[in-house]
Amino acid sequence: MRTDELIGVLAGAVEPIPPGRVQGRLLLACLAGVLGAAALVFGILGLKHDFPRVMLTAPFWMKPAYTTWFAVGAFMLVDRAGRPGAKATTGRLVLVGALAAIACLAAINLVFTPPQMRMHAMMGLSARLCPIAIIVSAIPALVAVLIVLRGMAPTRLTHAGMAAGLLAGGVGASVYALWCRESTAAFVAVWYTLGIVACGGIGALLGPLVLRW
Amino acid sequence: MLRGLAGEASAHGELLTLMSRYLRGYFGRRLGAGTADMEDLVQDTLLAIHLKRETYDPAQPFTPWAYMLARYKLLDHFRRQGARTMVPLEDAGALFATENAEEGAVRRDLGKLLGGLPAHQSQLLQDVKLTGLSMEEAAAKSGMSVSAVKVSVHRGLKSMAKRVRDADG
Repeated sequence: MRTDELIGVLAGAVEPIPPGRVQGRLLLACLAGVLGAAALVFGILGLKHDFPRVMLTAPFWMKPAYTTWFAVGAFMLVDRAGRPGAKATTGRLVLVGALAAIACLAAINLVFTPPQMRMHAMMGLSARLCPIAIIVSAIPALVAVLIVLRGMAPTRLTHAGMAAGLLAGGVGASVYALWCRESTAAFVAVWYTLGIVACGGIGALLGPLVLRW
Repeated sequence: MLRGLAGEASAHGELLTLMSRYLRGYFGRRLGAGTADMEDLVQDTLLAIHLKRETYDPAQPFTPWAYMLARYKLLDHFRRQGARTMVPLEDAGALFATENAEEGAVRRDLGKLLGGLPAHQSQLLQDVKLTGLSMEEAAAKSGMSVSAVKVSVHRGLKSMAKRVRDADG
């Protein structure tokens, strides 16, 4: 086909694009990820009976607060990664802010813990399970976000995949946090972060394979 | 682009026609002008500009967005070809040519930035930085003292840089 014919065809096929449509789809993907993660976590690990009681405690909310904050930053990164030539300064700052906040909490937490208890505060009772559970809960979100991201226009695929992985990790971890019964900031800072970063790594590996358009 | 996003067919067609000219220059210099590959890539990229237009953020400058799409298509082309095309040494000069279509696109954004400055400042910037006059020549042309020209150019660059940063942030 000749180029001017192509232009004619394309120009004939414009419908208006509402602003924010891409973000809307990305948000929908996150929502799907939340539902998927909830099904996985509560389906495999089961519901806990003390749910109403722990819901009233502050440490319980610290975990989803941290991971959701992280996910918000990663969301901005993904949005930028899917838009060619856009810079992601704000998203990066939000991510660093989340990391700094949890690191501060963890440091305070450890300082006020007697030395012989510190290792326990860090390892909790589920250190082995935690990162793996986060990776598994992140799978639905990862699939959904990667699909949406491929429909956008990522040009740096490893980078975009990593952003998607971090977002999925944040979403998955936020759901898993509702099941998890660890309550120390030190535990969250180490194992939650490890799980989310591992998701980022998986995303970075998948990016070049699945994000091509 | 903005009017195309709003669904205005004629504006969208104009944009694509304009871009096809820039793109032909861009790909032409990298693949050799007039090859079938080049025209394919031009069409591919136009299609991408059309299909991916929802990923253009109106708050960002248009040129880098379109340029990244073109670059992506070019890299994709090389990857599929499985081999890097070498640029023959005699043609290397073309890569450094001062006048080309891509620069025209950059100049469009630059023009917009310059337009935001006071008239005398933007004139001085054009004389000194684009036309390549010396500070003394620019001073003589504008009737200002040499140090006043230097200050003015410096301030102009600074406020342009600030605006670009603000737009990116």
